[in-house]
Amino acid sequence: MQNLLMSAAEMPDVIRQIAQEIVNAKFPDGYALVGIHEEGVPLSERIADAIEAATGARPPLAKLDISMYRDDIGKTKHLPNIRETDIPFDINDRTLILVDDVLSSGRTIRAALDAINDYGRPAMIRLAVLIDRGNPEYPIRADYVGRKIDLPAERRVTVRFEEDGNPGIFDEAWLDKHPVVKE
Amino acid sequence: MKEILLKNARIVDPARQLDVKGDLGIADGKIAAPGKLAKPEVIDLAGKTVVPGFIDVHVHLRQPGNTNAETIKTGCMAAAAGGFTSIVAMPNTKPAADNAGAIELLRSIAAREGVVRVLPCGCMTNGGAGEEMAPIGSLKSAGVVALSDDGRCIQNHALMRHVVEYAKYFELPILDHCEDVALAAGGVMHEGKWSVLLGMNGISSASEELMIARNILLAKQIQWKIHMQHVSTRGGVELLREARKRGIMVTGEATPHHLTLTDECVKHFDTNYKMNPPLRSEDDRQAVIEGIVDGTLSVIATDHAPHTRTAKLVEFDNAPFGIIGLETAFALCYTELVASGRMPLIDLVARMTTGPAAVLGIADYSLAEGNVADLTVLDLDQKYEIDPATFFSQARNTPFGGRAVAGKVAMTLVGGKVVYAGK
Amino acid sequence: MQWNRKDLLELYDLAPEEIELILDTAAEFKKVSQRRVKKVPALRGKTVVNFFVEPSTRTRVSFELAEQRLSADIVNVQASASSLLKGESLLDTIKNIEALQVDLVVMRHSAPGAQAFIARHLNCGVINAGDGAHGHPTQALLDIFTIREKLGRIKGLNVTIIGDILHSRVARSNMWGLLKLGANVTFAGPSTLVPREFEEVGVRVTNNLEEAVAGADVVNMLRIQHERQTLGFFPSTGEYSRFYGLKEETLKRMKSNVLVMHPGPINRDVELASSVADGDNSVILEQVTNGLAVRMAVLYLVAGCVKK
Repeated sequence: MQNLLMSAAEMPDVIRQIAQEIVNAKFPDGYALVGIHEEGVPLSERIADAIEAATGARPPLAKLDISMYRDDIGKTKHLPNIRETDIPFDINDRTLILVDDVLSSGRTIRAALDAINDYGRPAMIRLAVLIDRGNPEYPIRADYVGRKIDLPAERRVTVRFEEDGNPGIFDEAWLDKHPVVKE
Repeated sequence: MKEILLKNARIVDPARQLDVKGDLGIADGKIAAPGKLAKPEVIDLAGKTVVPGFIDVHVHLRQPGNTNAETIKTGCMAAAAGGFTSIVAMPNTKPAADNAGAIELLRSIAAREGVVRVLPCGCMTNGGAGEEMAPIGSLKSAGVVALSDDGRCIQNHALMRHVVEYAKYFELPILDHCEDVALAAGGVMHEGKWSVLLGMNGISSASEELMIARNILLAKQIQWKIHMQHVSTRGGVELLREARKRGIMVTGEATPHHLTLTDECVKHFDTNYKMNPPLRSEDDRQAVIEGIVDGTLSVIATDHAPHTRTAKLVEFDNAPFGIIGLETAFALCYTELVASGRMPLIDLVARMTTGPAAVLGIADYSLAEGNVADLTVLDLDQKYEIDPATFFSQARNTPFGGRAVAGKVAMTLVGGKVVYAGK
Repeated sequence: MQWNRKDLLELYDLAPEEIELILDTAAEFKKVSQRRVKKVPALRGKTVVNFFVEPSTRTRVSFELAEQRLSADIVNVQASASSLLKGESLLDTIKNIEALQVDLVVMRHSAPGAQAFIARHLNCGVINAGDGAHGHPTQALLDIFTIREKLGRIKGLNVTIIGDILHSRVARSNMWGLLKLGANVTFAGPSTLVPREFEEVGVRVTNNLEEAVAGADVVNMLRIQHERQTLGFFPSTGEYSRFYGLKEETLKRMKSNVLVMHPGPINRDVELASSVADGDNSVILEQVTNGLAVRMAVLYLVAGCVKK
């Protein structure tokens, strides 16, 4: 069973709001968005579009796959396939804004921070998410949040953009494609 | 005097070309006319088939030397369960049966513990090493029925010639494992498409055919019997067919596995598909079947080669050659050859009775009155899956577990005594 | 496409999509080795045993480095140091190693199918690092990765492998992988070392070097082993070189962008002229670089399916 949390029509406004907050923060020139696979990548592109629309300048974009930094290898039935990591600029001394669709346990962001660290030493790292479901397992908080929602742990949040088909944000039962194997 | 009446049987007796319905009597260990029995124990066979007891001219009993794999006792029980009433015990035990003492040991254990007739075979050369002639006369005196260096092949043609000449005087047939060692080149499977794809060392067909040809030439020159063990190649069958047409005293055997399996089976590296000669190509398999059907190969023999699970649980290259066969032979051959319509039952029975009897020089191997009552009862209609867990053999090295077959041995009698009565 | 195997035994077993998944994954791992920090924590806490029952330097070093860059703990076992010499069976030896809570065994062995045999009896993952003349899947994967990286595709390419095909696991694994991905494969070399039976699975077989290299997009030169000469497969390395060595003149008649490959170690000026080995068409050192990436990918994918 799937419930609609946010319709596709509402999403552009929420993304624009995140973009505006980033603009308002007045980061030094050269700040960049780093989209985390999978849905963080299309989200980062949309935020960049909105920033460009508001300011006329488009921040550089990077893609990050955190699979190599996961803490559950061998604990899940399958590993996710590794996607392209593409950081086309030097991250040293740069401000980076990590972009992901949903902030849940915080483990993905932990992995992303580890990964970023292996590429260099940024001046500052911030986090933007579309949905903060508010049950972190790690002491990790988002700086820019599209919407906060409260959901029981057994529900998962799925974000789909137009290119994924049937766009919108949904919550559904945890019938994970990477189910955790009981030890 | 113990009397048995086997009622309602189909009697198949190749020596007399008989395939009839009727009753068969046994009195005092011999076959007797049913009408002459006084108070027989009556066994209603309800249409089951009675044939002369099978003879296997190629069995490894592993005692002495490797009784973890098989003993004379368990090997004989396996033989009985397979319908065999006589088996020829290959001499490549440890130590090898190359002297009269070894033969006497085998005979005494077999007499004490064996439920079927164990016919001893002696080595052609000391230790089967192919270097010096074994004491063939003494072996004959000790009771061997044939000579063989099975597992190995005398490479020195002059020595082989002398062995055959010498054996002729003692009227001992030669059972030869035909393999040119240099051409076999340390191979572990048939040389062909699959050895090439798998990157395994191949044993070429030529390595077998070369020695078959050698033996044909020697048999012709010396005018004595050479029997080719486990013929596995088309070329080998053709050489034998031609030689037999010309009246040369050569015979040949096929194993059930060469009749049913091919080299493709090796592709998963299961060591139960490793034997020597190796499983050959489908074309070779068809040629071996043709040889059995037309009688070029007059003998089916199992090359029953027990190995422990430990010995076979290794890399393919390092595994010993051979599989067990006594308890699966008839069903495999019946299913492959008779149920499929390729040959009549009476011919298959001939390959397992009169054919091997002729190799060993046993005359009139039939169910005629007065003959020793070595016979086997077959339930041809029974269909089942082979289950190695039920084997009497101590070994389990068979690739046939789970294979669907038809034709079960229902009862085996040796000298009129029931030694196996089904499971 | 989802990876679902705890073992990598032979490319023969894999679907084309599985091979492509390994190559795609390897492309990402290649970037790791180009970073400031050439290491990821993917296999942190995992133990990998490199069990080499046959001598090997480059494959073992490549695996070892791949494991280190994945943060695995590593144990190296050499045949000479192992208990195999004391008469213990291979399976017992490996079972004992597994009992030490090992997650992956990378094995090189002289017997074809040795890895397939032990994999059936183990819970830990098994990676074939060469089994006799049967297979060497990671070598073939790195060759195919290199070709794909350089030429952009595999399908429709003409790939010629020259040398002692009969005894070559590299040739066999390449053949399965390349055929699955739609390349045209040619095997060439002396008639004693190139079995015609390969034609039955769709390989072109020739004993003529000129014919073998005409139209080739890739030539992969195999090492010719001197010991084959003593076994009578060919008269001398000199004569071998004359008829089957790749020299500058031959290269001039080939496609200008042909890739010259060699799995190493090279017998310079025997199967491959030094000038060709070091020339513009040679991608031999890139093969080595890519080997690391491919092995990281394989270790990562296989480790993901080992349940502990």
